[in-house]
Amino acid sequence: MTPRERMNAVLNFRKPDSLPWLESLYDETTMTWFRQGLPTDKVIVIEWEMGRGGTNLYNWPAVKGFDAYSYFGCQSFYGCVVPVDVGPLPRFKQRVLEEDERYLTMMTETGATARRIKSEERTWYSMPMFTEFPVKDEKSWEIYKKRLDPKDPRRYPKDWNKDDYIKIFEGYQRGITMLRFNGFYGFGAELMGIAPFNIMLHKDPELIHDMAEHWEYYLRETLREAIEILKDRIDMVFWWEDMAEKHGPLMSPKSFREYCLPHYKNLTNFLRKNKIDRIMVDSDGNVNPMIDLFVESGITGMWPLEVNCNMNAIEIKKKYGNKLFLIGNLDKRELAKGGEAMRKEVDAKVPILKEMGGYIPSADHLIPVEFSLERFREYADYIKGLLPYK
Amino acid sequence: MSSKTTGDILGEISKSISNLEPLDQVTKLVKKALKEHSVTEIIDGALKKGLDEVGNRYEKGEYFLSELLYAGEIMTNISNVLKPHMKQTDVGQREVILLGTVRGDMHDIGKNIFGMIAQFSGFKVQDLGVDVDPKTFIDETKKCGADIVGMSTLLTSTLPEVKTVIDGLKEVGVRDRVKVIIGGNAVTKQFAEEVGADAAALDAVEGVDICKRWRAK
Repeated sequence: MTPRERMNAVLNFRKPDSLPWLESLYDETTMTWFRQGLPTDKVIVIEWEMGRGGTNLYNWPAVKGFDAYSYFGCQSFYGCVVPVDVGPLPRFKQRVLEEDERYLTMMTETGATARRIKSEERTWYSMPMFTEFPVKDEKSWEIYKKRLDPKDPRRYPKDWNKDDYIKIFEGYQRGITMLRFNGFYGFGAELMGIAPFNIMLHKDPELIHDMAEHWEYYLRETLREAIEILKDRIDMVFWWEDMAEKHGPLMSPKSFREYCLPHYKNLTNFLRKNKIDRIMVDSDGNVNPMIDLFVESGITGMWPLEVNCNMNAIEIKKKYGNKLFLIGNLDKRELAKGGEAMRKEVDAKVPILKEMGGYIPSADHLIPVEFSLERFREYADYIKGLLPYK
Repeated sequence: MSSKTTGDILGEISKSISNLEPLDQVTKLVKKALKEHSVTEIIDGALKKGLDEVGNRYEKGEYFLSELLYAGEIMTNISNVLKPHMKQTDVGQREVILLGTVRGDMHDIGKNIFGMIAQFSGFKVQDLGVDVDPKTFIDETKKCGADIVGMSTLLTSTLPEVKTVIDGLKEVGVRDRVKVIIGGNAVTKQFAEEVGADAAALDAVEGVDICKRWRAK
């Protein structure tokens, strides 16, 4: 079986010859591993690429970049993704607003102001502090909305061609093909900021309804052509939300039912009409109170199931069976300890979930910088031994 | 002050806070109450009760972070109404909580909610912000005479900063006179024990409850 066939078998509750294994690495972790001895030459992938983003006309093989995933033999969430731009157009001009010895304050492409620590170890991992957001009220939303026009011709690639893209999506075998976008909570929180958005749910419900309605319309109409052309050649939808913290969801299930559920249903129905039914929500934190609502809304998968936030893949599998495929739930803190602690964590979950089906082993979030190369190698070797079905 | 109408208005305010009613409706009630009550009476008889009930509903799983944040918005609006009427005696002698997110971490939502609830639970909160240097924590603890030092960290990579601060407090000889509470996604009760913190809070409401228990002793 190819990596794609293996992934699809598990996502659809069929038995592959061997379980796939999936991880996500912070760039800072990869950088740390280079300092710890990750062999650079073996991690560089050279692929024949034409055009280099349309900036010149050379026909030379291009260094595609570092691919630690194929080096370790695991899958990632990055690969063949539907190339439609769902961001604001025109983009906000990304620029530095202020800089001192420790911080860089910048305008992001989505119009937010972010302050981040300059040190290279903390480029992304520690997350910036957002100090201002583009949408604050109805007036600023109406202005921002103009940038979310589905009819903008710049949303599709310059070389968009039905037959060529069908061929690409059919031929890709290194992993699954994917459609990625922000969900209704994630969208609002990105535009307003987490705290203001959550306050606005109570302060100005009409504004939240309008934002959610527009986002549904915008996603459906922007993506319609790609979805109707590629159909079930899109293996999975990656629906980003990040709607919870350690204690539970940020938005209450009651608010989810009111603001999100109708739009989730409309969008998942649209995807289903086009035979796309592997739809995975990505949300950190404790989303246990939301799972019934996810299932009701047409979601069919979840990641990363953080252990320190009380997520338990075995319990979810017992309750929901083949209604949900699951990825993750291996406690990154235990895995990073290596040795007995790592093996105990893997042994307690992987063999059981492997038999239950519809589960792809993975750490319960991105691999943090504290996870040393030596320990990750040990983990990789151990888990790979458990993947084949005998 | 014992008339039925008087008791009712404070009860109404408390209920409107716990039911998360629209901001203008709540502030209208507070303005009405100011005609009959002192600021202290409104704080003790209505605001604290209302906020406690919000905390209870959060602990019971009826309310979520979104509701806590909106309750904070209500309290800020009420504060703005009360401020011009406030006297020093309304504030009284309050325990000081020095608060911050440790060096290397820029997350602040949990810390801010903790600060808000603590403030309306009668603590004086001094918030140092995010990415706070250990030296700043230590210097400010001495300077402001903090009773409680609260540290937040969401990242596992910044957990060692907590120990650095606690060790620093010991070095300058103030550890014995302050309580140290830690919180954030990366924090566990076990970690708190390992680094010598007095408590770890799993969420903002629990954190303030712990501080209240310390105050009561």
